[in-house]
Amino acid sequence: MTPSAHDSIISSFWKSVFYNIAFFLNGLLIFLLFFEEQFLVPSWMEPIGRMHPLVLHFPLVILLLYASWVIITKKPESKHWHPDLSRILLLLGVFTAVIAAFSGFILSKEEGYDAQALAWHKWLGVAISIGSVVWYSFLDYLPPWRISAKLAAGLMVVVLMVGGHLGGNLTHGEDFLTAKLIPQQQSEIKIDIQQALVYDDLVQPILEQKCYSCHNDQKTKGDLRLHTQELLIKGGKSGMLWDTAQADLGLLISRLHLPVDDKKHMPPRGKPQLSDEEVMLLAAWVRSGSRFDLRVADLQATDPIYTYAQKLIGGGRPEEIYDFPAASADQIEKLNTSYRIISPLATESPALMVNFYNRAGFKASDIKDLLPLKEQVVQMDLSKMPVQDADLKLIGSFTELRTLILNFTDLKGGGLAELKGLRKLRELSLSGTRLKLDQLEALKQLPALQTVYVWSTGLSNEEIQKLRSIPNPRFETGFKGDTIILALNPPAIENEETILKRGDLIRIRHQIPGVSIRYTLDGTEPDSIRALEYQKPIRVEKNTTLRTKAYKEGWYGSKEQEKLFIIAGVPIDSVRLVYEPEKQYRAHGAGTLKDGIKSGPSMGSGQWLGYRNSDFETFLYFDKPIQAQSITISMLRKLDSYIFPPTRVEVWGGVEEKSMKLLKVLQPQIPGEKSKDLANESYTAEFPSAQYTCFKVLARPLAKLPKWHRGKGEKAWIFIDEILVN
Amino acid sequence: MEKQIFDFGMNTNRRHFLSKLSMGLGSAALGSMLIPDIFKGGEADPSEIIAGLPHFAPKAKRIIYLFQNGAPSQLDLFDYKPMLNKMHGEDLPESIRGGQRLTGMTANQAKFPLAGSMFNFKQYGKSGAWISELLPYTAGIADDLCFIKSMHTEAINHDPALTFFQTGAQVGNRPSMGAWLSYGLGSENKNLPGFCVLLSRGKGNGQGVYSKLWTNGFLDSVHQGVQFSSGENPVLYLGDPEGMDRQQRRKMLDKLAELNQGTLDEFGDPEIATKIQQYEMAYRMQTAVPEITDMSKEPESIVKLYGPECLVPGTYAANCLLARKLSEQGVRFIQLYHQGWDSHGGLPNEIRGQCMDADQASAALVTDLKQRGLLDETLVIWGGEFGRTNYCQGTLTKDNYGRDHHPRAFTVWMAGGGIKPGIVYGETDDFGYNIVKDPVHVHDFHATIMNQMGLDHEKLVFKHQGRRYRLTDVAGKIVKDIIA
Repeated sequence: MTPSAHDSIISSFWKSVFYNIAFFLNGLLIFLLFFEEQFLVPSWMEPIGRMHPLVLHFPLVILLLYASWVIITKKPESKHWHPDLSRILLLLGVFTAVIAAFSGFILSKEEGYDAQALAWHKWLGVAISIGSVVWYSFLDYLPPWRISAKLAAGLMVVVLMVGGHLGGNLTHGEDFLTAKLIPQQQSEIKIDIQQALVYDDLVQPILEQKCYSCHNDQKTKGDLRLHTQELLIKGGKSGMLWDTAQADLGLLISRLHLPVDDKKHMPPRGKPQLSDEEVMLLAAWVRSGSRFDLRVADLQATDPIYTYAQKLIGGGRPEEIYDFPAASADQIEKLNTSYRIISPLATESPALMVNFYNRAGFKASDIKDLLPLKEQVVQMDLSKMPVQDADLKLIGSFTELRTLILNFTDLKGGGLAELKGLRKLRELSLSGTRLKLDQLEALKQLPALQTVYVWSTGLSNEEIQKLRSIPNPRFETGFKGDTIILALNPPAIENEETILKRGDLIRIRHQIPGVSIRYTLDGTEPDSIRALEYQKPIRVEKNTTLRTKAYKEGWYGSKEQEKLFIIAGVPIDSVRLVYEPEKQYRAHGAGTLKDGIKSGPSMGSGQWLGYRNSDFETFLYFDKPIQAQSITISMLRKLDSYIFPPTRVEVWGGVEEKSMKLLKVLQPQIPGEKSKDLANESYTAEFPSAQYTCFKVLARPLAKLPKWHRGKGEKAWIFIDEILVN
Repeated sequence: MEKQIFDFGMNTNRRHFLSKLSMGLGSAALGSMLIPDIFKGGEADPSEIIAGLPHFAPKAKRIIYLFQNGAPSQLDLFDYKPMLNKMHGEDLPESIRGGQRLTGMTANQAKFPLAGSMFNFKQYGKSGAWISELLPYTAGIADDLCFIKSMHTEAINHDPALTFFQTGAQVGNRPSMGAWLSYGLGSENKNLPGFCVLLSRGKGNGQGVYSKLWTNGFLDSVHQGVQFSSGENPVLYLGDPEGMDRQQRRKMLDKLAELNQGTLDEFGDPEIATKIQQYEMAYRMQTAVPEITDMSKEPESIVKLYGPECLVPGTYAANCLLARKLSEQGVRFIQLYHQGWDSHGGLPNEIRGQCMDADQASAALVTDLKQRGLLDETLVIWGGEFGRTNYCQGTLTKDNYGRDHHPRAFTVWMAGGGIKPGIVYGETDDFGYNIVKDPVHVHDFHATIMNQMGLDHEKLVFKHQGRRYRLTDVAGKIVKDIIA
């Protein structure tokens, strides 16, 4: 097993090369250590320094391996000892140790490390390097079975461990190794959002996790230490950390906001970065004046800091804990009726809420019955029940009440003092009751009261102003509306039909009490002075256009409502159409014209006869001669759908079909671009009153749509649904 | 010999097995030390949790959901995007659209010209929320509202989107949100249904609503929404026929209940029990409903608050007022639908009319609840089923444009019910097309609402045809940042 020079793993030449380099570097290291004060690291050498965290692991492992081997080797003839391999191992250890020491020395010249911790690490590192090279040099005198070799090995192990650990502390922080073993108080104690401080519970943890590793007592990059409030205020080499006068809020926040690739961005690339929310939080804290005593609970719920706290600490405003015992389920069940609903606030909550319904059936004893539950009822809603002031004494014995709703009860306010037992009451609703200002004084005795609702209580405007200035409890006075003027909605004409019989009644309605409905039947504007006031239904005797508006004191007049009423004609015995209507608009043929049904504005209602390619021409027959003086054609005008008024209307009449005479010609105007659509367009031809048995009515569609229309030059339609003879 | 070899093999195998087993046990023991909960078993089966009570103390007891059916244009009401005005008429950059599939109505358009809103915006309240001139009343209560500008949904057409918003699934037949809450919390007032539906119609382009939107799905049919209509009988078939008085009705119901009880005892079908309850409730509703729908006692200040239309049955304003009255009487969930927001063309004109209907009454409802001390326990929600595109559908002219459906980003607001007042949550890009911050999915929206009502959306489940169902399906995150 004895190795000879020629069968060694690497030749002695290379061994001596490594040994000599190591020896040389150690010399250089000692030299530099002597003149450390004058030594300035040239910039090309800096990367060598930064290789320290990589290189250091090699000597650590190799030397530990070698030392352990030495320690376990007992006898010279031990089979496990391999002189050549062990020698090479030590050589490698020596070589890498000096490189590690050298690079470490260069790295130590960079700023930001705690001088004391660094000093120990540095000297131990140098000691390892020099010690190992000495050991190698005297290797022949220190065979492993000698006690001296074992002592050297033991010493080496200790130095390696201590030096390595100190190095670790420098990079990762002092308690990095043991942090997880020591129970962390912060995570144990659940922070209450009501008690939490913005700095202690929100800001500091972020700094601790993301910033302290480089800015602490031991490592003061940029001369900045962040771990105490005083040092935070002091800032670092580049100055103060914040300046709210600046748009970017100063150094701390602007550094966080820089792009990660920017050299000045913090934390440096590769280190754990702050999340967007964390940056937002720090910015919000700085903006708010970077106060160390700011409490989360003092913030608005809409404040970004509060939102962050809520997310981190959880829950939000804490759920109330009710520490009284629960009532028995049987008891609750027994008191529950269809009009008095008792229910727990939530599953397994001892707290109860009670709602009352059905005013007509309410008795004061309904409250009294609940007394067995007075330890549990936290909310009671009695709105609209006929509760009297005398009942308040009873209600005052429900000492656990938090919310009490007495809206629109019969209270007069005299009994409010009886509520003094409600030490936990937070909200009291008295809207819609007839109370007086001085009676509210009694509520001052309620220590927990936060909000009182007193809308619609008959308090004067001055009294309301007075209440609004009281900060605690807050009085919610609501909307009064007496100074607001709105426009009324138009009256509703109840008659749905357009065709009425002579003598029928028109009814108009308005839902708001006290409204004056004005109307005209002569086509003039219904104003609030001259127009007729609607008192009773209006009787119609002839074709009438009803125009109506609503007026009331304290309101603007309404928009106008307009409707045409046509008097149903003499019943027509039979009707004949000369030309067929167009295919889609045939309704039910000729009979459509005399069915007395006025179609709605929709052209597809199935009640319209539509003509486009031919005239509308119809014969109307009466079995017996009738006295007549007018004919009305009811039509539709829907310009965008090409439905226009006719260009010409002819009415012929006589006692027999063959001898009819032209009685009247109408030539309606072609509507302009801005004309409105009409669902109840009509044309009435009046002629001398006489006896007739037969009429012919002709209506001609417009041949070419006007230039302004999208279908210019095309044929227009006419739509007819009814003909009335009077 | 063979037997001995066999025995030996068995023995060694056994020994081997046992020793391996001990190793196995050892590793299991070690494993269990590292994962302490491993042998504890899971949580209790959520379906065993009794429905009918909140899981934890609720912030809100009731919901009024002012659904703006047809999808109002967020870009003309809330989501102020000056960039669109600057680039008015220019094509929507492809990088913004990102290859999104559009509806059949605009997919074939050669161009997607951006359309800036023609309405003026201003900031209101502490949060500085942008609100357009179309909503002066809403602007007046900005400090009570939480605007979520980053809602998004999965469906791009009305029916699936509406169904998704109401039931948590795009396909039909799942229980509606109101039915889930009625199931989870029960009714507060035993004389009224827990879930009521009120419909109204604006003059704008409308989209239908159908009873599947307030269905109980597979839940018990007591949880179905009850539609109130605007005529003389708000609840159909509730009145007694002529000649029948209250006593006779009572007697008849008692007999009927006896018969039903007999059948229930025999067959045990829960639907029969439901039926008995329904008859009883209908009997009590006969007195409760007329009292609620009678508006004649409302003071003039209320008429001025909601606007004069609130006394005209069937209008949106009247429904808002009715919703307040129902909610005051303990109805858990009141669902309004106001139709007419589907402005594919002629948007400026249509949206003016829609806002005339909806603005004052919506704001009035919030104010009215507040002055009664009920806003804290009532959650009011306002919004549509999706948003509208930033580009114009049809021809873009100086004073006219239309907008197509846009599911990627839209705005809803909430008020009361333990939601933070006066905040704006979420953000869209400069084009109002994509969400850039804090997206809120429909499932998240549902989870948050349920949380406010004291329900854990993961625990309120119902087992049906072998599967457990939730309103939020398998998703939903509570939006903690908007909770006060």
